[in-house]
Amino acid sequence: MNNLKEYFKIAIKTIATRRVRSWLTTIGVIIGVFLIVTLLSLSQGLKNAVLQQLKAVGKDLIIIMPGDNIMTSLMGGNKLSEEDLKIIKQTEGVEKVISINYTSVIMRQKDNKKTVLLYGADWRNGLDVFKNDIGWSIKKGRWPVPGKNEIIVGSRVADEIFPDIKIGDEAVIKGRKFLVVGILNSVGSKQDDSMVGLDLSIFKSITGEIKGAKQAMAKVKLNYSPVRVAQDLKTNLNENRKRQIGQKENESSYMVLTSDKAIGMVSNIMGLIQAVIIGFASIAIIVGGIGIMNTMYTSVQERIKEIGILKAIGAKNRTITIIFLIESGIFGLAGGVGGTLLGMLFAKIIETYFQIHPIFYLKADVGLSLILFSLMFSFLVGCVSGYFPARAAAKMKPVDALRYE
Amino acid sequence: MTEVIIKLENVWKNYKLGEIDFLVLKNINLEIKTGSFVTIMGPSGSGKSTLMYILGLLDTPSKGKVYLNGQDTSYFSEDELAKIRGKKVGFIFQQFNLLQSLTAMENVMLPMIFQGVSEQKRKERARKLLQSVNLGERLNHKPTEMSGGEQQRVAIARALVNNPEILIADEPTGNLDSLTGELIMEILTNLHKKEGKTIVVVTHDPNIAHYSREIVHIQDGQIISNHFEEKRVLWLQENNNT
Repeated sequence: MNNLKEYFKIAIKTIATRRVRSWLTTIGVIIGVFLIVTLLSLSQGLKNAVLQQLKAVGKDLIIIMPGDNIMTSLMGGNKLSEEDLKIIKQTEGVEKVISINYTSVIMRQKDNKKTVLLYGADWRNGLDVFKNDIGWSIKKGRWPVPGKNEIIVGSRVADEIFPDIKIGDEAVIKGRKFLVVGILNSVGSKQDDSMVGLDLSIFKSITGEIKGAKQAMAKVKLNYSPVRVAQDLKTNLNENRKRQIGQKENESSYMVLTSDKAIGMVSNIMGLIQAVIIGFASIAIIVGGIGIMNTMYTSVQERIKEIGILKAIGAKNRTITIIFLIESGIFGLAGGVGGTLLGMLFAKIIETYFQIHPIFYLKADVGLSLILFSLMFSFLVGCVSGYFPARAAAKMKPVDALRYE
Repeated sequence: MTEVIIKLENVWKNYKLGEIDFLVLKNINLEIKTGSFVTIMGPSGSGKSTLMYILGLLDTPSKGKVYLNGQDTSYFSEDELAKIRGKKVGFIFQQFNLLQSLTAMENVMLPMIFQGVSEQKRKERARKLLQSVNLGERLNHKPTEMSGGEQQRVAIARALVNNPEILIADEPTGNLDSLTGELIMEILTNLHKKEGKTIVVVTHDPNIAHYSREIVHIQDGQIISNHFEEKRVLWLQENNNT
């Protein structure tokens, strides 16, 4: 409708004449949208980061961790014993077991000393799993020869931690000299990209962690169901624990996860977190909406005479409703735009912070759908909040409005 | 035979204020003919403003009928009445009643927006009308930047912009000094004389009434006389002198 443009202009001019109040009203919405955009983009980014790592893991890999839930598994100092590893290996359907051992150490290269994550990898037995199932690939150089003092470094080690490291360089870890033979491509996880990998036997001898493993991966044989094998693994491990230390029935000391299950678990947890975030942030937006409603009612009250004039010179009820709705819609939309921009900015700041202080790759995910959702939602809140004041304005009798002083 | 634009037939109007019923208009019968210049005179509280609102289709009678060009307006919806007001009636108020956030041009263009006139035509016509009331230099000024006389001239331009059949002015000089008031009345008189506009002025000021050919006296909600006082009509005297 051609007239909409004109009504829009009228609305803008009215808003401009009530500058302070218009700003305050808009800020109310900005805060709500800002919360939604920041929290959702970051939580989505977090979800992406975790899922990306999990998805890189092959579907026929089962991860075995000590501890009965994800917190104690990751944070606890528990280890899998040699016996555990043996049981895993003997379980039907398991093709091979790759134990995972890591610890942080100080590495010296030329004059630089930095802390890196030292990763003991069983090259002889597990190189194909690292290559095919976990997605490690060589960017420069070659894989280490098992049993030799050779290391490979993650992409972040080569790019940021030791920026001038080259193939053929020497690096010193725990007093022993190693030859850098390969640089890996990024695997998308800050932790993995910051690691230095060396042969498991050497890892054990220089760290003193000779027995057992922090975690283990079991590769499932062809034609065996990973879910089934995972169940068997869990049963076998717990049976043994019961025999040894009298662990009670129904108790479990192990987390056994297929990659699908891990992805599902993370998706569920993150989905729940996001739902809570949307819930709370929506409350903030609705509070902003009440602010709009308050402003619009005040505005109607102040402009009763103006409404009378508009009606006297030919404005229909619908016209008055539209003008007021446009005004409140502008508050909502402006708040939406402001909140989205601020939210994106803040999310980027947090993302940058995580790049400087790396824990994992957190990339704020401000998708088009999130932006559209925030804008639509805030505009809608603006319109809904403005509807009742607008109706109140439109329903006024012209003569009463004109006579109002 | 002169055509009747607006006809009031046995019009009553009462307002309820709490428990008390105020009878504001009592059985009013009035005809406004095309091309006439009518003044409705009466003291405050006489019901003249209510009469004006009913004539201008801004209010509806409690009883009785209002005919516009022979059509009974009681069957019109609120929106139809708004459309007719915008098209056929031009209002000039004592308080000027311009929109403070808009410039002179924008105020004048506003009634045309509601009638769906194209932007180019709106601008052309608004500029022309403002120039005709000597405000060609003040097109982009806001009401707060203009004197009372200037504001009232903007209001006149706004009232004329859709080329209405009738102009209704409520105490148009009430907020102006006498010199400016005369100027405004001259504009209205010229519109009547040169363009044949039908004009209804509501006032309590006898000096204003002198400009008119027909004076309707109203008191306590009733028309007490509806007469034509030739000797008191200034412009007729002027005409006679020339």
